[in-house]
Amino acid sequence: MKYAMLIYGDDSQWVDLPGEEKVKLRAEEMPRWVALFEELQKADPDVSGHELDGRTTAKVVRVRDGERIVTDGPFAETKEVVGGVFLADLPDLDEAIRLASQIPVAEMGSIEIRPVVQ
Amino acid sequence: MQYLALIYADETGWEAASAEEREAVYGRYRAFAEEAREAGVMRGGNELGPTRDATTVRVRGDETLVTDGPYAEVKEALGGYFLLECASIDEALDWAARIPAAEHGAIEVRPLHVEPEGGAS
Repeated sequence: MKYAMLIYGDDSQWVDLPGEEKVKLRAEEMPRWVALFEELQKADPDVSGHELDGRTTAKVVRVRDGERIVTDGPFAETKEVVGGVFLADLPDLDEAIRLASQIPVAEMGSIEIRPVVQ
Repeated sequence: MQYLALIYADETGWEAASAEEREAVYGRYRAFAEEAREAGVMRGGNELGPTRDATTVRVRGDETLVTDGPYAEVKEALGGYFLLECASIDEALDWAARIPAAEHGAIEVRPLHVEPEGGAS
């Protein structure tokens, strides 16, 4: 079964950090992400992961009666927003939960696991 | 530059739709994907199962907390996404506006993170 792991985190504090702080924090956390990705690759060599830019870069488009309406910011103004997604073919939901719990953001935010329609 | 087009729509309509209605919608999605492929824009996409099949995982301290259901109970839920390769966000918005769900739901367009030379952004 293919699962999408939607990574929800609060990026508001991150956005306000000075550049050198971001570099430092990212460098500190990177080994955990690399280890996780390697484990995901063992489970599914075709695993993919995408990291999104912060919520300030988001735009939402709607079409109503043929007219296009574009707004700035993410679709939902929640404290935590989608910041990335992993997609992996895994044996079952338990394995998906086990791997999702190793995503660093799970410690502050939330990981939503959704089966993918084949 | 790659952009993720996140598709938000009311699931109840889809759940209630007949097989014929669903096939008609899938037909429109196939046409969109085909057009984007021919334009060299399509880089992938996935339809997510309904939010009632979602599981949410949080780790707090040493504990892993697992709950049934999506991260947030919202009227319009994330139902899928396309990954698009576009020259600018305006081009990505042009393509996103052609995703069938844009007519009743909303498409959130987000650039993928690119690590700048010399550090984090």
